[in-house]
Amino acid sequence: MITQVKSPILEIHDLTVSYDQSPVLWNVDLSLPSGKLIGILGPNGAGKSTLIKAIMGLVDPSGGYVKLFDKTLEEVRSRISYVPQRESVDWNFPASVLDVVMMGTYGKLGLFKRPGKKEKELSMESLEKVGMHGFANRQISELSGGQQQRVFIARSLAQNADLYLMDEPFAGVDMATETAIFELLQEMTAAGKTVIVVHHDIYSAVNYFDWFIMLNLHLVASGPKETVMTEDLLRKTYGGKLNLLTKVSDLIRQKEFNPLKN
Amino acid sequence: MEDFLYFFTFQDPSIVFVVIGIILLGVGSAYVGTYSFLDKKALLGDAISHAILPGICLGFMLAGEKNPLFIVSGAFISGALATFLSSWLNKNTRLSEDAIIASILSIFFGFGIVLLTIIQKSGNPEMAGLNQFIFGNAIAIQESDLYIYGGLAVFIILCLTIFQKEFSLLVFNPDYGRAIGFPMGMIRVIFNILMILSVVIGIQAIGVVLMAALLITPGAAARFWTDRLGVLVILAGVFSAVSGVLGTYISFVIPQMPTGPWVVVFLSILALISFLFAPKKGVLSRYISRRIYLKKTHRDHLLKLLYKGIEADKSGLPIEEIYEAFPFQKKQSEQSIKNLAKDNFITQNQSFIELSISGKSEAKRIVRLHRLWELYLNEYMNIAPDHVHDTAEKLEHILTPEMEELLESRLNFPKLDPHQENIPRDHDEL
Ligand SMILES: Nc1ncnc2c1ncn2[C@@H]1O[C@H](COP(=O)(O)OP(=O)(O)O)[C@@H](O)[C@H]1O
Ligand SMILES: [Mg+2]
Repeated sequence: MITQVKSPILEIHDLTVSYDQSPVLWNVDLSLPSGKLIGILGPNGAGKSTLIKAIMGLVDPSGGYVKLFDKTLEEVRSRISYVPQRESVDWNFPASVLDVVMMGTYGKLGLFKRPGKKEKELSMESLEKVGMHGFANRQISELSGGQQQRVFIARSLAQNADLYLMDEPFAGVDMATETAIFELLQEMTAAGKTVIVVHHDIYSAVNYFDWFIMLNLHLVASGPKETVMTEDLLRKTYGGKLNLLTKVSDLIRQKEFNPLKN
Repeated sequence: MEDFLYFFTFQDPSIVFVVIGIILLGVGSAYVGTYSFLDKKALLGDAISHAILPGICLGFMLAGEKNPLFIVSGAFISGALATFLSSWLNKNTRLSEDAIIASILSIFFGFGIVLLTIIQKSGNPEMAGLNQFIFGNAIAIQESDLYIYGGLAVFIILCLTIFQKEFSLLVFNPDYGRAIGFPMGMIRVIFNILMILSVVIGIQAIGVVLMAALLITPGAAARFWTDRLGVLVILAGVFSAVSGVLGTYISFVIPQMPTGPWVVVFLSILALISFLFAPKKGVLSRYISRRIYLKKTHRDHLLKLLYKGIEADKSGLPIEEIYEAFPFQKKQSEQSIKNLAKDNFITQNQSFIELSISGKSEAKRIVRLHRLWELYLNEYMNIAPDHVHDTAEKLEHILTPEMEELLESRLNFPKLDPHQENIPRDHDEL
């Protein structure tokens, strides 16, 4: 059940990604409309983070390609904002909340230059949007998990992009904050931005997203909520790992080379 | 004392050179090292510092004398080779990182020792100074050395300052850096170069064996005192410079004494002091806050005891009964009673103890938190009523008013806990 769209904001063509030879994403082929709030669903280890990293060019695909705004990533990087998974960094790093949010302005600032007043103001505005402006001078190690998550979202807002890719931004966030941030994301999509979010909770997902990507090592579904939110597709997505695919993965890992690499 | 005055009044220009050199070197390597420490790559510095020995020897062999330019270049090249090799092996083999670093370190250092022995056997009269590169001798720094070593140190400090935001990104979140289009691979290379340079400039004063300590220890010690990167870097620099100068002084007073080990001794003392006495993170301060906490729990338990007395229709308790309730803790009980009386939470009439009005309110608060938590565990986490007491006993001392409010509203202002005991509110009559 894969719905392709005309003039997509993001087009993924036959993408295969492997770590140390074992493929974790098989032949993902999809296209996404702009101005939508898009959810990526799938069980743990389904390759959701890997898909986002492949889109951001952080892992090299062993096959296929990604196009954004009908261009290559390099040409449109400044229009894309990435929120990594919270656990991917060490929050004991000695930095303040404002320091981290300011990183969102580095892309436009470029190398060498230091952030100035303008960047600071922009960062404070972003913090205000996620309700964290009172914490600007706090050390990030002192924050709760949900607050750290909001700092990451604020950082990506400071980038002022057109396409947002967020990896589990709601993990460890309390209900009230989740609702507030979803409202913020909906405002953004209403203003024409596209937001793609990896989400772990199907029940709240149904309320917020317009479009779903369902993933379990391969693409199970991609389409508008009405067409893909079916019991059958959900079962295919969450109903255990695909035995055959994992078996083939193991087989390939034992080889001396990766036969899928082009 | 005479030596001390002579050294620290800096009358001797050669001492001035040495001190300037050691301070620049200390600050530079502590600065790089702090980032490396935060990046959890402490071992890499160790590997590099051992790996530059063959380069030093080759530089010496080519020049035929102790020419700083040849030696620094040789050291840099072999350090770069070791770094490159370890990251190449990391990427292209499945060996673990520490195995790679350990092998590189021992192979390069072993080769260096072989070369050193060959040079020694050759009977080159210039040879005398070369041994110093193992453990360092700061006093031997001369004006011409200072320009090279000091100049490089200034270069390192400038680079780190200019690239501050890039290096922070490299350590904190390199993936994000790549996502916004920064050349993180290149930035890593630049950082590694600075790391190698900072080791190279330390070889004369500190020596290859201990240079890694000068990279990592200052940052590690300073980390106890602060959570701010700017302060951390400055403090690490100060620790490093102070130890450097003191180590140099020892080498000055006792001429045969190598500088490196003494610098490390002073650094270790500073690290130990930090570990023990730093506020918040130091051992002592953690011990004290634990003592304060234990005192508070004892005080809370005493209030609860009096409150339960009231529940059993005893307006107060004789002091002996309180002592008995906390066996083997008579001293603590006396202390708690004294403190509670001082805070006007209890009144003592001869040896009969009663809760005051504010004491009752405080006691109710503690009992309330205890019972609310028990109920929460029971209702929301399906834990049996006879299993909920122990965690409640601990959490009653630390739950905040906000948590209390949250519990109350979640549980919808309950009247009874899982053991059917009353959950007391402030306005309840006693
Ligand atoms: N850096 C890596 N090296 C090797 N295997 C990895 C790496 N990152 C992820 N994997 C594996 O790839 C699979 C997909 O991971 P991931 O994309 O993180 O899944 P998800 O985000 O859906 O939980 C998992 O089996 C995981 O163990
Ligand atoms: Mg993930």
